[in-house]
Amino acid sequence: MAALSRAAVALAVPVAAWQALVLVLAPPRYVLPAPAEVLAAAWRQPQYLAHHTLVTLSEIAAGFAAGAGVGVAVAFGLAALPRLGALVWPLVLVAQALPVFVAAPVLVLWFGFGMASKVAMTTLIIFFPVASAFADGLRRTDRDLVEAAQLARASHWRTLVDIRLPLALPSLVSGLRVAAPLAPLGAVIGEWVGASAGLGFVMVQANARMQTDTVFAAMAILAVLALSLRAAVDRLAPRLAPWARER
Amino acid sequence: MIRILFFAILAALAAASPARAQDRLTVLLEWFVNPDHAPLVVARELGLFEKAGLAVELVPPADPSIVPRAVASGQAEIGIHYQPNLYLDHAAGVPLVRFGTLVETPLNTLTVLADGPVRAIADLAGRTVGFSVSGFEDAMLGRMLANAGVDPESVTLVNVNFALTPSLLGGKVDATIGGFRNFELTQMRLEGAEGRAFFPEEHGVPAYDELIFVTRPELAGDDRLKRFLAAVEQGAIHLTNHPQESWELFVRAYPDLDDALNRQAWADTLPRFAKRPFALDRARYARFGAFLAEAGLIGKAPAVADIAVELQ
Repeated sequence: MAALSRAAVALAVPVAAWQALVLVLAPPRYVLPAPAEVLAAAWRQPQYLAHHTLVTLSEIAAGFAAGAGVGVAVAFGLAALPRLGALVWPLVLVAQALPVFVAAPVLVLWFGFGMASKVAMTTLIIFFPVASAFADGLRRTDRDLVEAAQLARASHWRTLVDIRLPLALPSLVSGLRVAAPLAPLGAVIGEWVGASAGLGFVMVQANARMQTDTVFAAMAILAVLALSLRAAVDRLAPRLAPWARER
Repeated sequence: MIRILFFAILAALAAASPARAQDRLTVLLEWFVNPDHAPLVVARELGLFEKAGLAVELVPPADPSIVPRAVASGQAEIGIHYQPNLYLDHAAGVPLVRFGTLVETPLNTLTVLADGPVRAIADLAGRTVGFSVSGFEDAMLGRMLANAGVDPESVTLVNVNFALTPSLLGGKVDATIGGFRNFELTQMRLEGAEGRAFFPEEHGVPAYDELIFVTRPELAGDDRLKRFLAAVEQGAIHLTNHPQESWELFVRAYPDLDDALNRQAWADTLPRFAKRPFALDRARYARFGAFLAEAGLIGKAPAVADIAVELQ
């Protein structure tokens, strides 16, 4: 409860500053609408915004799940087959280095204008932080423990599954927490490039019609989604590694 | 010593500048330079702007949707814009007025593959149409569909951004709207596919000017605009009288546009330039406003005097 009221206060300050700025500078409404106008824009079209919010939310959720899954699988695969890892990891780095705005139109051409391309975009953005963090965790297991396992004649696979994997879970949690804010980004970029629904689509349409208040309303909803996803991951991910809870 | 040097440099700079001060004008284009801008480029290459005492800069936009806001807020004196969007801008409180016409026919087209399943607009029922965001494509498509007796709700609109031709060729959409008849059809032909075009003004949409010159209302009486438009008019007439020579002027200025697509687009656009850019057809503007209001895109059609002026 205290956290919520703190969040409310933290939110109220910039919104009040924004309103004051609009009152003092009186910019044209198509450049910077007042918070009241943004709220009015959201009030005017609740079903429209709700429908598109749901679309983006499902893209974010599916993309986050897929990206995290692929990231875990890739990191685990690299640890299980180290020689293959040496070949595959540079490819992974190249895929990550590609600017997202370049990949987006290509993904849309391959996967079409429906949800698939947005989920693919989100997966692409999410998977590297997750894979990188988890792979690091798997790689950096305490030397003493690994050597103790070798003394007990444990196979590479047993060492990996029984010792390195559980000890790498806190790193995976960090990776998930870093990746969470990126998921909405992937969904929206995918929608900008080609879509018929979603908050990114709403923003592009409203922008073309000079309806800046609707653009801001969609942005505000997106911010709420991003924060909620972040909060959810912060809450749930540490359950993967309950022994590593921060004090 | 330093002071003498300073004044000497100042004098040299003053002597090097042109004898007559040129009035500056920034023209924000609606897209990259292309044959749609022929009258402007021809006027510039013939020295007509210079003769009128104008230093005109043609600036392509990084983001096409920025043009009305940039012109309204003073970042450019002149913008090239679309007549249909002028009404939407007015409804959104963006202060702009039309003061001249560049292209006086619609260019927007509903395009399908010639050998595809869509032979007439009525065949679009239940199909997908791709559009690039212009703000009023659903009003235009809605009218064309209603004209053919199709329920607009049965057609899915997908924003394909600017990938109109690739999405049509790739079968991702059954039709596209927002392509220009003087460009996208040629583009398709060069990729080996024949397109069939349905022109909005032939299917229930009132005729309009595709490209117009806009400025902010305070500048409407500015003398620079009058001299600018007079030079553009001369350029348009020169184009009409000497099309081949004008094309050579155009590609000398923009050698990277000397290709099959632009050559064909040049020929296709020639008949569509306004030879009387000053003239304003008030009744036609009012008719289009009424159409947009009826389509529900704007609340009420604005008075033509609020959105368009005819320079005297």
